[in-house]
Amino acid sequence: MSVLNFQHMSTKTFLRTFAFASIFFLSSPMEVTSAEKMTLGFVITNWSTAMYETLFMDECSGGPTPGNYEIWEASVTPEVRRSYPVLLFSQLRHINNRGRNGLNVCDHPTSFDDPSLEIIEGKYAYGANLDGNKHGRATSTSCEHKNFTGLNGEEGIDNQMYRLMGCVEAWKSYGHIENNANSHRLSSGLGMILIEVTDVENERNDESVSVSFFRGIGSYNLDSTGNPLPYASYGIDHENGRARYGDTVMGKIVNGVLTTKSADVHLPFFGNYQYMNQLFRDMQLELELSDDGEPMTGLITGYYGVDQFYSYVRGMLSTFPNRHKFSCPAIYVAAHQLADGHPDPETGECTTLSSAFNIQAISAFINHPDYD
Amino acid sequence: MKNTGHRLPSRRAVLRGVLAGGTVSVGLPFLGSMLDSSGKVLASGAPLPVRFGTWFWGLGHTPGHAIEEKASSGFGIDFIGECQALSTHKEIINYFDRFNTPLDGRSNFPHYTGWIASRTGTVPDWQEEIAKPTYDLLIADRIGTQRRFKTIDIACTGNPRNSYSARSTYNRSAAEISPSDFYARLFGPEFVDPNNAEFIPDPRTMVRRSVLSAVTEDRQQLMRQLGASDRAQLDEYFTSIRELEVQLQVQLQKPAPNEACSAIAPPKDDTFLGSKTGVEISRVEETHKSFARILAMAVACNQTAVFNVVFSENLSSLRKLGESVTHHSLSHEEPTDPELGVQQQTSWFNTRSMDALAFFISTLSSIREGDGTLLDNVLLLAGSETSFAKTHSVDAIPFMTVGKAGGRIKTGFHINGNGDPITRVGLTAMQVMGVPIDSWGSRSLLTSKTISEILA
Amino acid sequence: MACFSLTLQKLVCFGFLFLAWLGLSACGPAEPKTDAPAPDMRRLTEDQYRNIIADVFGTQITVSGRFDPLVRTEGLLAVAAWNTSVSSTGIMQYEEIAQSIATQVLSKENRETYALCSGVSYTAFDESCARKFLAKVGRVLLRRPLTKDELTARITIARDSANTLGKFYAGLSFGLISLLVDPEFLFITDFTESDPARSNAIRLTAFSKAARLSFLLWNTTPDDKLLRAAESGELHSRDGLNREVNRLMASTRLKTGLRAFISDMLNFDEFDSLEKDSIIYPAFGAAVVRDAREQTLRTITDHLVTRNGDYRDLFTTKKTFMSRPLGMVYRVRVKAPDNVWESYEFAPDDPRIGIQGHLSFLALNAHPGRSSPTLRGKGIRSMLLCQKIPDPPADVDFSGFNNPESLGKTARERLLAHATNSACIGCHRIMDPIGLALENYDGAGQFRGVENDAEINSSGELDGIAFSDSTGLGQALHDNPAIPTCLVNRLYAYASGRTFTAKSDWLTYLNKVFADGGYRVTDLLKRIATSTTFYAVSSPHNLDQTFESASNIIHFD
Repeated sequence: MSVLNFQHMSTKTFLRTFAFASIFFLSSPMEVTSAEKMTLGFVITNWSTAMYETLFMDECSGGPTPGNYEIWEASVTPEVRRSYPVLLFSQLRHINNRGRNGLNVCDHPTSFDDPSLEIIEGKYAYGANLDGNKHGRATSTSCEHKNFTGLNGEEGIDNQMYRLMGCVEAWKSYGHIENNANSHRLSSGLGMILIEVTDVENERNDESVSVSFFRGIGSYNLDSTGNPLPYASYGIDHENGRARYGDTVMGKIVNGVLTTKSADVHLPFFGNYQYMNQLFRDMQLELELSDDGEPMTGLITGYYGVDQFYSYVRGMLSTFPNRHKFSCPAIYVAAHQLADGHPDPETGECTTLSSAFNIQAISAFINHPDYD
Repeated sequence: MKNTGHRLPSRRAVLRGVLAGGTVSVGLPFLGSMLDSSGKVLASGAPLPVRFGTWFWGLGHTPGHAIEEKASSGFGIDFIGECQALSTHKEIINYFDRFNTPLDGRSNFPHYTGWIASRTGTVPDWQEEIAKPTYDLLIADRIGTQRRFKTIDIACTGNPRNSYSARSTYNRSAAEISPSDFYARLFGPEFVDPNNAEFIPDPRTMVRRSVLSAVTEDRQQLMRQLGASDRAQLDEYFTSIRELEVQLQVQLQKPAPNEACSAIAPPKDDTFLGSKTGVEISRVEETHKSFARILAMAVACNQTAVFNVVFSENLSSLRKLGESVTHHSLSHEEPTDPELGVQQQTSWFNTRSMDALAFFISTLSSIREGDGTLLDNVLLLAGSETSFAKTHSVDAIPFMTVGKAGGRIKTGFHINGNGDPITRVGLTAMQVMGVPIDSWGSRSLLTSKTISEILA
Repeated sequence: MACFSLTLQKLVCFGFLFLAWLGLSACGPAEPKTDAPAPDMRRLTEDQYRNIIADVFGTQITVSGRFDPLVRTEGLLAVAAWNTSVSSTGIMQYEEIAQSIATQVLSKENRETYALCSGVSYTAFDESCARKFLAKVGRVLLRRPLTKDELTARITIARDSANTLGKFYAGLSFGLISLLVDPEFLFITDFTESDPARSNAIRLTAFSKAARLSFLLWNTTPDDKLLRAAESGELHSRDGLNREVNRLMASTRLKTGLRAFISDMLNFDEFDSLEKDSIIYPAFGAAVVRDAREQTLRTITDHLVTRNGDYRDLFTTKKTFMSRPLGMVYRVRVKAPDNVWESYEFAPDDPRIGIQGHLSFLALNAHPGRSSPTLRGKGIRSMLLCQKIPDPPADVDFSGFNNPESLGKTARERLLAHATNSACIGCHRIMDPIGLALENYDGAGQFRGVENDAEINSSGELDGIAFSDSTGLGQALHDNPAIPTCLVNRLYAYASGRTFTAKSDWLTYLNKVFADGGYRVTDLLKRIATSTTFYAVSSPHNLDQTFESASNIIHFD
């Protein structure tokens, strides 16, 4: 029986407890001094789809997936191919407009049957166990899918995004999709994500902190080699004092690693000339903190909407018609097939893909607008 | 040889020498014979001018790792270790070893006494004291006034204060630090190509000259109102004005054609160097290469007869990117490797300095002039401010002549000074360049012993 | 009745006399008699040259070129200017710069603004336009009106040039060039005249007084009002001088003048060649170099001028200014946008304190890739305390020390050998213990708690006062008697080119004025600017042999 279970306590015991408690509290200084609460700030300096890669692409048994160009080339005679000696912009559009009756295959992904996307068949992936189980069978909140094993042997890793895009060369660490996006973000400051951690009592271990996500305004401060410098000050995107993003979640810090509780979070996005307001469902952040200005690495996991993702793919292919070895129809079909989260209540089809993204971040000061 | 265009030293220059301490004396017959010994001529019949230059690097050599020791002077230099890169040029170099700097009880100001003593002939009483003009100015007084630029001073370190050419403590030049600015100044709109058939004196130059004349017209009136020390200060100013007038006058005359002079492309924009300052080694080397090319052509086009190049400064802060130590701090702090017998990293910088000198020499010799190359008509005096930097030693400060000085000197000799004063080197250089002196230097540095082994 | 009124009269008289005496003594001690130096001249510094062009022609006229370097003497470049002339390469530069300025001023776009003669023929020489223009610029550039003959001579130059070049404005530009290379422009000269108040004595001309005053307070050429005060002779009267001093000191330009002095005293010319290793200190780029200098100058002028604060508090103040680039190096939040400065105050528990805690001091007195307790200690000794450190002995073997691979993780450990080697200890014990208190700041001035994983001990000592950290150092500097006396010494040397021994009556007087007034630099400046000594000159043959002119400096002890 707990000493604080007043219901069953005798008056005597109660009084004794009360007296003891009073002495205890009254013997300390009169004002209750809470430890000073700190605020930590970070800015994300690199964001990419978390890809487990082997040297010889063992994870893609069929090799890298063909893109629009390869599919088109396979569908025409060598003479026709040779009649396009240099792939000019106008000709590239031809390649996208290879759908039925000249439809653009990215705008109408079901209008053409591309060869199936090569998808990841490997065992390992980065990510988290988002659906809470290791079997991968359908549940009320998820669709059937294969689980991965984490790099430290953890089972039940859900990362259908990786399964989907892991054999698309452009998406790999040596491909240009993520590299272009990152370098453009660094040089322009667009799509900057700020992370603010408040109510921090101890930077190494704190059971309860608040974590908020904002869109940063301004440019990154780069050193002479183009790397962003820590401890710069950034303003947040706001309208009349109200932050445009600003979702807040609970978190904790354990041995210098910040983690957040699963929650839906909106994050800004800019990359490859596409702007998006991304929604991450059941998002979790894990970030290994440093206090000396050194870059920090982390992982963002969560469910990413299929439509949201396809709109990115489609938008890019409008801008870069075809050098990226991916095919809109194949991705569209595969994405719907591989989706494993948030089933549509009516159709039962899953609408989101479990995913994981590597991030790098550095310390920053986050300035809130001075509004009353 | 009357049409050399070289005038006898002005009365003012001689008098200044006399007033400055009585260690400069006039020897006119000597002068004539020096001029006669220049045998080469230009196609036009005018003799090829002999130019003088200095090339400075900081922190000397590691003793025993620059040249093979020789007990006595003689033909043949064996460059080793840090000076490997100079081996290919040894035929055109004279190396001066074991010339010392007696201090007569004065302090050895680390990294200052060495260069001041060797270039001015006088040991300083305090760190920045320049009691007498540096030899390049004495030579320029003699041969420099008939050129568009009396001297050209260059620093590859990005710091205009890195200049070892000074008339006195308070009379110093600022060095050029930007190759593209230098190019614009030399070969910009005011450049007159000596090989142009047509020459029209620029009226603007005439006007500039007459304006300077006018400015000095009422100098007597001004001088009368001043005290003695101010008169000296003002006199320096008027001397400088007068020299500029003469230089402008030169630009009003058709320059002698010189086949060696040809157009060169401007350097890359300086932004490739990063910031304008900085002594990170690869940056200094790039700057040096850029300067060398432009300077060599400027000399070939007779824009100047005297130049000074500073590769690294006397306290050489050359460094490698990402390293917290500099050449100078290494020279003191780095322990000597017991097997190799050198301070490895220090030696590395010393070697790079000599590599740069070798490059400079190649640049000069890459320009054809007359029957040979530009280098044949240059006397380049390369030297440092210390021999063994770790101990700040000013004995055996390494010095070299490079080039044939128009045939006035022999080359390829290793000269052992046997402890003689280092001023013998400067004296010899000045005499070769036609400065009318029999002796030079103060106190124990006073010498009249020319290094005759190298005279042609 | 008569008796009573007589007593009353006496009482009133006595009362007035008493009040007068009170008033006089309330002004402090009287200026001591000091040997006046011979008239002298100094060459314009680069800053002065640029300020003058900006003031006369506006900031849109660019000045680019090299200026002969000044050799720091007695701690100041300003002192060297009194000994410096113009080298032959220097005069080429001046002439080229003059050409560039004149071309810009009389360019098609600008000529109407400056020459104020509209509708003038492009080719024919217009004498009245030339006269107006050259008289106007001549007066400001030579810091006195041209005489009739002088003006005629300049007009002749312009006319002859115009005839040769066939263009009026080109000719006129050479009139301007002749002024810009004139020795009376390039040199600030003490011109003298006989002093009507004393027989066989000379005094500075009013124009030379004006120049001396203007360059001290504003670091630029006398403005129109000051020139008129000189022309009218007002400047020779006490009232006239006081009026002009007050006017100049009330202006925001006083800060410009003070900045020039502070920059000289703190060796800020070294910023021109300051670089930090971009891998070791990636945040320390060009913007930081530029802002670090500005931060300290702003802090000092704000404290000394705007707030009229105690000079000694500069070493304990937490108040400063911050910009975005600096925020990253100091690791503090900056709200202001790019290129805007905001006030900033370090928290009470932040160890950063005083101007010695600014990046400007810490980074300038360090190496490109690491800190230097010795350089920082030396910097404080020589710049702030006016104490000379002898040069190191020529044959020292340093390889026992400072080798990061051998002994010691922190600089303190590595410099232990300084403290034990008898050849080193004499000088190093007056430098290292000061700089070691600043070891929490790395070579770029960034804070660090450890070096090579070892905790940094920032205790130190200054002239017998021990302290446990840099806050203690700040207080020790504040309390050190040499701090204010050094400032006085430097300020007067900067103003006049003269240094004195510490025991001289003049310095004793200035020090007392400074102390009594609460160490307010503006008050000290005013006292100097209104003193007789500052303007006093004597004929060379009147000189006492023991007095040394600026070219033979007495070392301050």
